[in-house]
Amino acid sequence: MKNVSRFAWLLVVLLVLTACGNDEDKASKENKVSADSGRTEITYWYAFGDKIGENNENLVKMFNDSQDEILVKAEFQGGYGDLHSKTQAAFAAKNAPEVTLNEIASMGVFARSGMTQDLTPFIEKDNDINLDDFNPGLMGNSYVDGNIYGLPYLRSTPILYMNVSMLKDAGLDPKGPKDWKEFEEYARALTKEGTSVGMSMPVSIWYFEAFVGASGGDMLAAEDKEVAFNGQAGVEALEYWKRLSQEGILKIPAGDEASAQAAQDFANGRSAMIFGSTANLTNNLAIAEENGFELNTAFMPSNKVNGVPTGGANLVMTAGLSPEKQKAAWEFIKWMTAKEQTIYASKYTGYLPSRLSAVESEDMQSLYKEIPQYKVAVDQLQYGKARPMAEAYPEISTILADEITRSLLERDLSPKEALDQAAKLANPLLQ
Amino acid sequence: MSWIKARPYVMIFPAILVFTLFFLYPIGYMIFLSFHDWNFVSPVKEFVGFSNFTSLMEDAKFLQVLRNTFMYSGLTVFLTISISLLLALWLNKKGAMYGMVQGAIFSPHIISLVSISMLWMWIMDTDYGLLNWFLGLFGITNIPWLTDPKTSLLSLIIVAVWKGIGYYTLIFIAGLQSIPRDIYEAAALDDTNRIRTFFKLTLPMLSPTLFFLTIIGLIGSFQVFETISIMTKGGPINSTNTIVYYIYENGFRFFKIGYASTAGVILLLIIGIFTVFYFKLLGRKVHYQ
Repeated sequence: MKNVSRFAWLLVVLLVLTACGNDEDKASKENKVSADSGRTEITYWYAFGDKIGENNENLVKMFNDSQDEILVKAEFQGGYGDLHSKTQAAFAAKNAPEVTLNEIASMGVFARSGMTQDLTPFIEKDNDINLDDFNPGLMGNSYVDGNIYGLPYLRSTPILYMNVSMLKDAGLDPKGPKDWKEFEEYARALTKEGTSVGMSMPVSIWYFEAFVGASGGDMLAAEDKEVAFNGQAGVEALEYWKRLSQEGILKIPAGDEASAQAAQDFANGRSAMIFGSTANLTNNLAIAEENGFELNTAFMPSNKVNGVPTGGANLVMTAGLSPEKQKAAWEFIKWMTAKEQTIYASKYTGYLPSRLSAVESEDMQSLYKEIPQYKVAVDQLQYGKARPMAEAYPEISTILADEITRSLLERDLSPKEALDQAAKLANPLLQ
Repeated sequence: MSWIKARPYVMIFPAILVFTLFFLYPIGYMIFLSFHDWNFVSPVKEFVGFSNFTSLMEDAKFLQVLRNTFMYSGLTVFLTISISLLLALWLNKKGAMYGMVQGAIFSPHIISLVSISMLWMWIMDTDYGLLNWFLGLFGITNIPWLTDPKTSLLSLIIVAVWKGIGYYTLIFIAGLQSIPRDIYEAAALDDTNRIRTFFKLTLPMLSPTLFFLTIIGLIGSFQVFETISIMTKGGPINSTNTIVYYIYENGFRFFKIGYASTAGVILLLIIGIFTVFYFKLLGRKVHYQ
């Protein structure tokens, strides 16, 4: 019996000891200037693999090699959705990375709920950074309620990718369609019953934003108090999608893998055109070469006006860091968004160079001469619009995508009805 | 207090600690959150009374989610049990072939659900999938398994049944083997036909197993998440959204923790009812020897 009791007490003592030990460990970790190297360690979370992931890892390595004050650890976290929910959970657990990415439509949620740090004071104190050099078309999503919460990092706009070999076979101008009318003619001419369709496009709110923008409309009304997508412009956009899809010249893959499906259709020559982020340009050029076709890019087709959403992610700092970590995080953000790095990222992936000086640099200009496909997105940026940043926008996007899909699948459900239904569900979320 | 008196409490302390920390505390906290409006990080948790519950009950999307969940659970459990009972009756024999078949149908049970989801996504692909290719051989045109709201839930049920039958069959075989041979001999002496033997003897003797599997199956399928998260993300048009995915979506995608917790409370209630039902009925309506 005695042995048992001794054992039990030993257990209790051990438990208490390990608990204390953990606390100490944690405390020392939090103010860490790691003893062995003397460098401040920060963690950086990013989204997406392939070329984009390599680009992130390479840049971080270059940053770490360029100085010996700060050591950044880069960690891959999946797509934007995963990255956001993991950041949120980690923040609640007080274990968030010091620097992370916000997909631009989510800047508002993160800033307003106090998860990200207001960068305005850092920018004011720092003479090295010139905000005017950032492309103004990309800055719209940096400001939340008048303060800067993030700097443009890997930014994009949707563009039109075309299989030029198929365009030529159909006797079309490889420059691509300019407006909806031409786009429709292209799609019709490129559709061959049973073998290929003009365009394969998943129901994506990002593309819908582009079509609404091209019709001169907005997704949300001023001040974000009400949705606007069920107005004239939205209805026109969805009617256009529905008409083309019913004619069979626009294929709409559905489900979770819809984007991958569309990309596959394009790679296999089952669809002659797709919309896509400029971020996929390098990848798509490689795919085109592999499959032996020529690739060209063009603006998103316009309707009444030119107007495209921008996309991609801004670099943000999480809130509540110690001054020392803040300094390190700021240095890292500043370095990552500087001219040389944005040139590197743009060449590596196809993302936009976010700085005006970068666009004008010899490096980029010679690339544009050599591979003009890279220039399309930069030129289109003059029509770039910020994405809505209302806190409920992620949920509203889900609702809207459901109703759009429903209207495309059900012959009798008119676009106006579907959008009104979505508005009815979405409006209470904006109150 | 003397050591003798304290001893049981000391002994049970670790178990209670773990139980409190990982079961009671989260449940209590979830119930607390269900009366609040909170986005997970803001320091303020606004008390809103029962408004989360009332808006959840008026939420057409949530009602569809409930319908989906019941439909999914009911059909999955019914199909899995029927198929595996038939398989068990067939496989409850000695011989290398039976062992092999049993092993083959059991193998999905030990594969991670994530891998299974990826595999089936490829099998069920509308244009390039194995399943549609196979059906194409019989002249059946491409079925949009996962991408049409009419078939998507059914497709997920097929995956769940495929994964479940191996385990269920194993339990059924164990159940069949524990039925004493002499009752069958008695029945044979009375010249009872096979169908009658099955319904009057096998089924009642198997009822504890049947009951156990039904309850476990229902509780399990109410909590389905992985296949949905990977294969459909609740779509298309909400057709495969079930309670647990809905909780995840609201909590981690839309930052509505209070609302998600409320849905969690509803799930707790439903599963609680099944569990109580299970313990109450156990040993009463079910035939034990």
